[in-house]
Amino acid sequence: MALLQIAEPGQSPMPHQLKRAIGIDLGTTNSLVATLRGGRPVALPDEAGSVMLPSVVNYSSGSARVGETAVALAAQCPADTLMSIKRFMGRGSEDAASDAARSHYQLAAGSEGLVRFSTSAGDLSPIEVSADILRELRERAVATVGGEIDGAVITVPAYFDEAQRQATKDAATLAGLKVLRLLNEPTAAAVAYGLDSAEEGVIAIYDLGGGTFDISILRLYEGVFEVLATGGDTALGGDDLDGAIAEWVLQQSDAPELAAGQYRQLLAASRRAKEQLSEVDRIALDLTEVLPSGGSITVSRETLETLIQPMIKRTLRACRQCLRDAGIEGGVDNVVMVGGSTRVPLVREAVGDFFGRSPLTDIDPDQVVAMGAAIQADILIGNRPEGDLLLLDVIPLSLGLETMGSMVEKIVPRNTTIPVSRAQEFTTYKDGQTALALHIVQGEREMVSDCRSLAHFELRGIPPMVAGAARILVTFQVDADGLLNVEAREETTGAQASITVKPSFGLSDDQITEMLQASFKFADEDMQSRQLAEQRLSAWQLLEGLKSALEADGDALLSTAERDELSDQMTLLQALIESDDADAIRQKTDALGRRSEAFATRRMDRSIREALAGVSLDALDEEAEQ
Amino acid sequence: MFEAEFQRNYFELFDLPIDFAVDQQQLGARYRQAQGELHPDRYAGASAHEQRLAVQYSALVNQAYATLRTPLSRAIYLLELRGISQQELTSQPVDGGFLMMQMELREKLETSMDLVDPEPVLEHLIAEISQDIAAEQARFGGSWSAGDLPRASSACVKMQYLDKLLREAEQTEANLLEN
Repeated sequence: MALLQIAEPGQSPMPHQLKRAIGIDLGTTNSLVATLRGGRPVALPDEAGSVMLPSVVNYSSGSARVGETAVALAAQCPADTLMSIKRFMGRGSEDAASDAARSHYQLAAGSEGLVRFSTSAGDLSPIEVSADILRELRERAVATVGGEIDGAVITVPAYFDEAQRQATKDAATLAGLKVLRLLNEPTAAAVAYGLDSAEEGVIAIYDLGGGTFDISILRLYEGVFEVLATGGDTALGGDDLDGAIAEWVLQQSDAPELAAGQYRQLLAASRRAKEQLSEVDRIALDLTEVLPSGGSITVSRETLETLIQPMIKRTLRACRQCLRDAGIEGGVDNVVMVGGSTRVPLVREAVGDFFGRSPLTDIDPDQVVAMGAAIQADILIGNRPEGDLLLLDVIPLSLGLETMGSMVEKIVPRNTTIPVSRAQEFTTYKDGQTALALHIVQGEREMVSDCRSLAHFELRGIPPMVAGAARILVTFQVDADGLLNVEAREETTGAQASITVKPSFGLSDDQITEMLQASFKFADEDMQSRQLAEQRLSAWQLLEGLKSALEADGDALLSTAERDELSDQMTLLQALIESDDADAIRQKTDALGRRSEAFATRRMDRSIREALAGVSLDALDEEAEQ
Repeated sequence: MFEAEFQRNYFELFDLPIDFAVDQQQLGARYRQAQGELHPDRYAGASAHEQRLAVQYSALVNQAYATLRTPLSRAIYLLELRGISQQELTSQPVDGGFLMMQMELREKLETSMDLVDPEPVLEHLIAEISQDIAAEQARFGGSWSAGDLPRASSACVKMQYLDKLLREAEQTEANLLEN
């Protein structure tokens, strides 16, 4: 039960109180949570003082154990210990089968579409497993900052597609986090460095993580971070290097087929070897627990470099493409290294040579992403004054529609700045055609079969006309999270259909709600008090926002009657806010929100007018009022 | 209606004269200023309605910026403002001499891959195409200023042809560097 807050009459009980915002780097190998303290981002440690949480979850006891505890159980119960789960996010089971076999996971039988792992805690999707990791980080943050978290920014690889982004957002929702924004990892890193140096110019972010490689080129100018281009490879990272070392060891020692537990041991030993070889020239890799013959094998830095060379080459190829896409003249001013794998000296050397700049490594490459996310979370939650830095990000992969002959018509090309709205006109190809099937795809290739299928939907109710007479306007809208919404409208009749693209391999909103409710981590009471707290917060946010809006523009933009009506509604909500009735607060908040829409529209119109030097924007008004 | 009404205003949106010549610095500054006010990040704590509006406005500003930033899309847009649609442009007859030149350039591009050392040939080709593009751009600018729409349209069509060819040549060069 919360203490009663005493406020002065007419004042909010939370006047300019800082809200609790966190940034989370949900990594393939390790995850971190950071927040702002005294204006600086800090990664939050666990009780043992460690900031990195291994992204490993063990389910052998029937419930989730996350982090080091799970790592310790990996060899003992391989099928119940899920690692590198990020690689499976948003992927179909068919697509993921070979990866799963390599990791010795058991895919649940009969799971079509969405991947599910068979564990002692039941069949689990990668989304649920990721939610367990996020929940652990949320709890860590709650314990450290001393209260429920108001909002979080979760980072994703820039190269994540639509399905992978949606899966990440769903996992955060499942973990009870309010997602302020999905932020691209390299952009987050740039924010951390940008805040640090405030140096203007072009920055390349080379991010070689556990499972993914991203390259982004950004420009920081007048407080605005503009992502110029982004590229990468979602299936390339430090894990692959561990795998390459393990394979090499097996080749060298002529080993028989390993059991799942032994392979895990070998992978772990390979990773340690890789890490140590950043410091020393050669190490002995102990095989006692791995091979029946036991013994050890010497791995030299030279061997490691031979194994890593093809990987580096692949990353540099992506860098070259990205530089071309960015279309900059005169090269980059700074190169920032992100991800544990960039500790490998050969990687630093190769990247430095490529860009002709020695890479920046001042901020810990493992923590920089979480720190940038924390800064952005702090901005988005409203803890910082206006005029703070702004991020303009891009979509990493082209979005399009299937057309005749299984070809792809690109509607939004890759590296387009978001949010974006693009419309294209299509028509019917048969006389009397009354429906149109739309297939939304993502990717750069020309054939549908080479691209990622995102969703199917149908526009019905087209009046029968001769072929080619119907005018069907298809609009793709991508929001600031990089999530897509598609709308189709037949222009002559107004027949309409729209879809918020839910990837084929994700969870439906109903499933998420169900899981949230079923989640044993949330006791019923706990859940209710959380809901109440959330409702109160959104009521306060609305009231506070309206108060200052009324003060600033109430006289100018509202009639006395309109103003009085709003004030009455605000008083009603204000009176209700300390009650324990979450439903009533929500209803009243929604009602007030609806009543204030016209005011909000007028204010925004005015600010666009002011920002854009006063032009006639009647068309915008019309749109806004629809 | 919204589309048609608004598209007339891309230049006005950034308070720039409706012209082929655009002050890129001014455009960039106005663009950043607008996004600073309208981007959804500025409305993360606002009501759902305001957030939706911010996405729409911000998308619009992005679209306007992308259109005005590059010469080709700017030229196409200017013609559109004068009622010449993309379809009309594509269906325009192109003079034979230009098409012949295009075919020659294209042939050079295709055969360059069979050479022992294709790189200098490709580079020369790219420089040649870039020069042609600059010439057509100048022609477009002049015709536009003179109010000669047919001539501007013809220059714009050629810019489209050349732009496509340039991108193919650059891709070929990129592939070459990878191998």
